[in-house]
This record gives sequence, structure tokens and C-alpha cells, in this order.
Amino acid sequence: MHSVYIHIPFCNNICSYCAFTKFYYNEERVKKYLDALKNEIETNYKGEVIKTLYIGGGTPSCLNISELKYLFDIIKIFNLDEIYEFTIEVNPENIDKEKILLFKKNKVNRISMGVETTNNNFLKYLGRKYDYNLVKEKIKLIKYIGFKNINVDLIYALPNETFNDLEKDINKLLELDVSHISTYSLMIEPHTRFYIDKEKEIEEDIDWEMYKLICSKLKENGYKHYEVSNFSKIGYESCHNLVYWNNEHYYGFGLGASGYIENIRYTNTTSMKQYLEHNYKEELEYLSNKDIISYELILGFRKIEGINKQDFYNKYNIDIKSLYNIKELLENGNLKENSSHIFINYDKIYIENQILMNFVGEENEKV
Amino acid sequence: MKQENIRNFSIIAHIDHGKSTIADRILEVTNAISKREAKDQILDNMDIERERGITIKLNTVRLSYKYKDEDYMLNLIDTPGHVDFSYEVSRSLAASDGAILIVDATQGIEAQTIANMYLAIDNNLKVIPVINKIDLPSADINKVKQELFDTFGFLDSEIILTSAKTGEGIKELVEAIIERIPAPIGDENKPLKSLIFDSLYDSYRGILTLTRVVDGKLAVGDKIKFMQTNSSYDVTEIFVYNPNFMKIDSLKAGEVGYVVASIKTISDVKVGDTITLEKNPCSEAISGYKPASQVVFTGLYPTETNKYNDLRDALEKLKLNDASLTFEPETSEALGFGFRCGFLGLLHMDVVEERLEREFNLDLIATSPSVIYQVLLTDGTNIEIDSPVKLPEATKIKTISEPYILTNIFTPSEYIGSLMELCQNKRGIYKSIEYITPERAIIHYELPFSEIVYDFFDKLKSISKGYASFDYELIGYKPSNLVKMDILVNGVAVDAMSTIVHKDFAYSRGKVVVESLKEVIPRQMFVVPIQAAIGSKIIARSDIKAMRKDVLAKCYGGDISRKKKLLEKQKAGKKRMKKIGNVEIPQEAFLTVLKGEE
Repeated sequence: MHSVYIHIPFCNNICSYCAFTKFYYNEERVKKYLDALKNEIETNYKGEVIKTLYIGGGTPSCLNISELKYLFDIIKIFNLDEIYEFTIEVNPENIDKEKILLFKKNKVNRISMGVETTNNNFLKYLGRKYDYNLVKEKIKLIKYIGFKNINVDLIYALPNETFNDLEKDINKLLELDVSHISTYSLMIEPHTRFYIDKEKEIEEDIDWEMYKLICSKLKENGYKHYEVSNFSKIGYESCHNLVYWNNEHYYGFGLGASGYIENIRYTNTTSMKQYLEHNYKEELEYLSNKDIISYELILGFRKIEGINKQDFYNKYNIDIKSLYNIKELLENGNLKENSSHIFINYDKIYIENQILMNFVGEENEKV
Repeated sequence: MKQENIRNFSIIAHIDHGKSTIADRILEVTNAISKREAKDQILDNMDIERERGITIKLNTVRLSYKYKDEDYMLNLIDTPGHVDFSYEVSRSLAASDGAILIVDATQGIEAQTIANMYLAIDNNLKVIPVINKIDLPSADINKVKQELFDTFGFLDSEIILTSAKTGEGIKELVEAIIERIPAPIGDENKPLKSLIFDSLYDSYRGILTLTRVVDGKLAVGDKIKFMQTNSSYDVTEIFVYNPNFMKIDSLKAGEVGYVVASIKTISDVKVGDTITLEKNPCSEAISGYKPASQVVFTGLYPTETNKYNDLRDALEKLKLNDASLTFEPETSEALGFGFRCGFLGLLHMDVVEERLEREFNLDLIATSPSVIYQVLLTDGTNIEIDSPVKLPEATKIKTISEPYILTNIFTPSEYIGSLMELCQNKRGIYKSIEYITPERAIIHYELPFSEIVYDFFDKLKSISKGYASFDYELIGYKPSNLVKMDILVNGVAVDAMSTIVHKDFAYSRGKVVVESLKEVIPRQMFVVPIQAAIGSKIIARSDIKAMRKDVLAKCYGGDISRKKKLLEKQKAGKKRMKKIGNVEIPQEAFLTVLKGEE
């Protein structure tokens, strides 16, 4: 079974921190883009059963009703599994009852809302054009229409943010009572407003303290920490994201999207011009068996529960502990294990790159 | 060519006063090169020389000029322009009969103007004073004329005004060379006596020995003897450079040229040595020979241990062209296998390190430079060490002596106060101040040589806004209260970071070093203490906090390849660091130790 990611690179408004491929919404451009997207899917999709579908952006919800209808028509190409997860990303300021109903009608069963913060001053600072009341109102509406699986994003470690600010933020998010919360500390990346304005990321020690605060508050309130930045109520883990962490196959369609089909990881062009001319793929990475195992490890260890030893053996016919310096990492306490899984020591989750680095490059190059 | 029509001359100047550009213009005027061919500074071979605007290796050119219906042969002997090479300068001058002293019209006399002038006087040269860069708006010709009179007694009528840029005054200068510089006075019929003043390696011709024939005649096929090393060779070829290599049959008394003989290694060619014929040798060698002496030592290590052989090959290649570079294998617990290299001075060290990195594409770690210490042991034996690591344990040492230098700091008088403070902070002993003019002075201090190997020159330049210049001579050893300061990273002593310091300065220096190491060593997965210690006593400590965050949170749109690439990049960065104990130390950290001062 496969999964599908579809990228909608349009926004009504560009946020100060966003480094993703995006364009201002423009009707003519959206039309051309959806035509190209349709062509890309028709050309490349081979008819596999699809178990998760994810429409991300940009801001998919900035499309108008007729454009969304066209998008859902395109999606009808896919052969959806009976049990499936279908997520769409939305922003509070551009969804309404009509769009939410359209989502429901088209089998969307999970909505991910970019809330980012509940603090109106910080919302302004991030370049978001709404206030927290609107978030509350839209979440209520989404639930009212019958969506049970809702994610909200939280950005923390903003310049000048205090622990008190963060705690208030978390409390307000908890009041929304959604099934899934993703958290990210603010990164100042090139090609963003913040980068141009020379904003600086918060000090590393504070960032870590904030992360600890989030983990403990969310856990206290019944959320399970299942991946570095993801928390959910039991049974509401994101199936689509788990496809990534479980090193499974997925199509990526749309500008700048990435996919993993057969033994190729590919990334699409970020040039709109190229894309509209049907030149989709830009980078191809052909994977050897060794590469596939390397991915299995660097992805699998992102999950808090880690990698299932038996599943690993079944998949690759090799004992996970015989690979790289996993034994040594177990001995020095960077990795831990129980009867079924090997996982990163929970205290080291926030510095996991130091451990994951061992699993790229040459096997005998320990770092 | 009649001996009366030969002129052998050098150009001497402070750095940047226009020596090489004047040389280029002289080449143009004598038609050795056309204007179109004239790349700037054709005599400076290496990129580094061109970039730094300094001359390191000599090039000697034979030029011809017609003056008053007579043909003249002019041999321009280019000299290196830096204090490190003063012995080489002195030998080049010994090969000349006259010198052109260039002074920048905007700068006036500086430290090396004086140092070079004294070398010229020592060699009994006829000196032609030249004020250059007269085209510049900031030129102050009268002031410089006054300085030339006050300092050396040159009269207005002797001074030639030039602009290497416009060419003004160059023809007059060339004619002054013919009129004022004496012809050589050697005797062609005496046994061969010829001065070696440089050597170089040319990939087509092998080892070239530059020589000035004083008496007698040197011809292809001769069996020659080097008098200092007492070794014999067959002359296979003789060249002059004009400025292309041109083969000739022989060199006669008064002439200058490049000799190719059956010489295997360049270190057999000692600058200052005398060449004679084996069959009919001259009775005594030319005086003034000194073996090259290395005064600064540093350990050079490849960042990647598997590049050791590449480093050795590179050093061997450099050595072909640089007889004064020494190196021997050295092992460091922290850095693995490398070489202990000896240099004539700080610039020489900088240039070699830069060439290794640039021309041979090597990533190097250089340990703190060291001078040679004389150590008197309690059992009465004397040893010399060129590395802190070689210092015996404190209980076995009776005294340690270190080399001292006498400085000539040439400066506008307004900076005297701050420069004296600098010298004082470097354990200097005040000697005297000489005023050249009311606005300019020379400060003489005695300083431990080890104090200037760090950052003295940079400090001097920044204090004086670039106006002060500096020159030194080694004056001998004095006992000092010196101790070895070790640096411990996570409890492990890093041998390559050890330094020898004066006891009174150890605490402050230790503190600065640990604080600056804290800034350059990245956080690790655990807390890392950085300590400075003398023996078993910790004198300074600073802790590097544990790493708190190293995670790629976002993975939007399943862009997993990018995540892997970032991990690979991060890993490659880590591999470039040196692992000491379980701590990764970046290259800059080793540099920090040597620059580690406020």
C-alpha cells in the first residue's frame, strides 16, 4: 500500500518564518497549476491502493470552492483503501462552513490547522492575519460538522517568549481539546522575512527547557508523545506521518513535493515555470539496500517507541543490533531497548541528530 | 663584455615602498620586457608574493642598456623584503656593487629602510637614494628628502624622484646606476672564487645555484667545489635570466648567473658559500658565511590523519625551493602523526603554512609556535628543546633560558606611549628611544622572542593604525621563570595545546585560553570542563555546557532526502574535527590557543 502527499503552494498571505515553496494566491495561476498537477498524477500514479492522503501547503484552504472541487475531482483518480486517513491543512482565516462541508463530502477525515500560537501579539509578529478567537470559532465549527481527528500546530521559542507565555499558550491549546498537537521551535531560515530582518533564534538552553515544559504538560493532559514533535490522544497518531517514519512508500505530487517509490527517493522541481511545463522531477536518489536500511534507522528512531526488532528482522533479514555501532550506542546509554523495541534514550530525543548521524555514510565511520 | 661595463645592483626598500614595480619599470626601460608583457611585478613569482606584495624568493635578471654609445650589462639582483630573510638580503647585497634605496614619498623612512640601509653600508655598497610614488597626491617629497638627509646624510642632488606608476624618473635612475655604481673589480685570471647567494628549484632544469663570480671564470664542464660543505659537482649548464632563461657557456669575474650542476638536494647549496674549481682552488673562501638558523618551530598536522604522506610529499617539494625550511616527523597524542617544522621567522612560517594549504590543498592544524629553549637540568646537563612537549618534568629542571630579541620599532611619535605599554605587557625591557625627526622615533626594547611569535605584529599594527614598523635581531639567551602550561579538555591533557609561559603571566593567560576555547569548541552531548594546569595544579577552568538541541523537527511534505543530506553534512563537519578523548575539537581551537590573548 502507498500514501500520497499533494502540495498546494498558494497562500493569501506570506508568514514571516515560512521557508517553503509558496506563491501568492492568483486564480489564473491556480488553474494552470491544478491542470499540471492532474497531469503529473495521471502520468505517474500506477494505481496502487492508497492508505493515507495528505494535502499540504502553502495553504490548501486558500483555494476557492470551485478550485477545491476541481482538486477533489483530481483526487478521485486514486484508489482509496477502505480504511484510510485523508488530511487537509487549513488556516483559520480562509475556511468556512461551505469548505468544511466540501471536505467532508470528499472523504477528508482529518484536518490540520496552523494555529501556531494563541497569543495575539505573537500571531501578529509571525505575520498571521487572525486572532485567537477566530481559531476557537473555526475549531468549534469543524467539530460541529463532525470531524474528530484534528491537529493543531504550535510554534514555540519565539524571541522574547517567556515560560509564562508558553504555559498560557499550551493551556489555551488544551482548551481546544483536539486529538493531535504538533510543536516546532522557531527556526530562522534563509529566504524568510525573519532572516532578512536578522531575527535571532532563542538560546539553546531556553529552547530545551520549553520543549521539556511542552512534553510534560501535554503528557499530563492525556497526550502521548509518539514522535519528536508530535503528540496525540491514544489512537490518533498521524498515519500519514508514520508512513514517513516507518520508511514506507509514498507519492509526492506538486511543486517541491518529495516521494519514495520503489527504490527511488525523488524531489520535484521548485520552479513553477518548470512545473507548468510538465518537468516535474528534479532530484532522484537511487537507493541501495544499505541506503534503505540507513533511512529505516534515521526515520524509525524519530518515533519515541523506536524500531520494532522483529519487524526489522522480517523486513531486512538482519539483526538490527549487528548494524553500525548500535551495540555501542546501547552500551553507552544513547539507545535503549525493551523486549520488542530499540529506541533513543528519552533524555536524548532533543539531540537525536548526534545519534542518527551514526547511521549515515560509511558503516565503520563512527562519530 | 668588458668588466668596466658591468653593473651589479640590488633594490632595497621597506615593504610596499615599490621595489618590485620599480624593478618592472627598469625592465621596460632596458627593453627586457615590452609594456604589454609587463604583468605587474614580474619578478615576484609566487601568488602569495603577489598578494601580500612582498618578495620572498630572489630573481636575478641580466639587462642590457646602451649609454653614450657604450653597451652595458646590468645585473639586477632582487632581494627579499622581510626581516626574516635578512641574512639572505645581506648575501644578495654582498653579490652587488651598489644598491637603489627606495623610500615611499607618502610614508617616509621606515624600520626596514634603515635595516636594509645598514646592510648595504656593511657590504660597502654605493647607494642611490630614490623617492618613489611622487605621483600620489599625498606625497610629501620635501619631508622625505629631509628625513633622508637627517638619517643617512643624502644630499638633494643625489636623490632621484620616481613614479613607478607613470615611469617618471626611471631612465634617469638607470643612467645613475651606470654613472654612480662602480664596475666589479675582480681578476679573471685568478683562481675561481664565486659567491652563492641563492638557490632554487626549477622543474625543467633542476636545482639552480645563483652565483656572482668574484674572481676567475666558471664554465660548463668545470668540476667545482663548494668550500663550506667541501663537496664537488660537475657544471652541466649555465643560464642567465633576461627575463627568460638563456643558456650561456661561462661566467667571468663580475658576472652573475644560474649554475646547474650535479647537485642532488637543495640543502647542499648553502647561501653564502663559495664556489671554486677543484683543480685550481682559491686560497680562501668569501667571508660572512652563516648557516641558516631556524628560530621558530611549530608542529604541522594534517586534519585528516590519512593525509600524512601528502603532507610529507608537500614539505619535500617546498624544501626543494627553500633550503632554510626544516622538518622532522613528530607524533602527538592529540593530533596523530605530523612534522615539527623549523622556520627562519614568523613570516617564513606563515608563508610555508599558506603554501601548503593553497598549493597542495592540505587542511592543516598548526600547534603553538615555539622558540628554542635552553634547559639546564639539575644533573648539570644542558638540553635544547623546540617544543613544550619536550620539556622535562619540573623537578628535573634547574633553569630555563629563552631567546631575547632587540627590537627596532619605527613609529610616529604619537604612538610611543601605547607601543611601550605593549612591549611592557610582553615582558619587555626598555632600552632607548631615538628620535629620527621630531615626529618619528625608533623604540628599542629587549623582548623575549616567544612573546612576539603570538600576535605582537598584529597588535603593533593595530595600536599604531598601521604606521609603526618593526624589525628585530636575536641577541642571545636569558634565564626566565618559565613553566609549561597544559590544557585539559574533559580531564585529558591535549599535548598539542601545551605552551611554555612565564609564571607571572600563567594565570591570566590560562584564563584567557580556557575562556576562548569555551567559545570555539562546540557543545557536546555532555558537560566538558576546559582546564589550564601547571603540573598537577589547575589554574583556570571553564565549562562547556552540554548540547541541548540538535534535532530536525520539521519534515514537511516528506522531504526525507534533505534530512539525510543534512545529517551527512553534519557528520562530515564532525569528521573534520579532532577527537580527543571523547570530545570533538575543531581546528580553530588549536589556533585559539596560540592567539589566546585579550
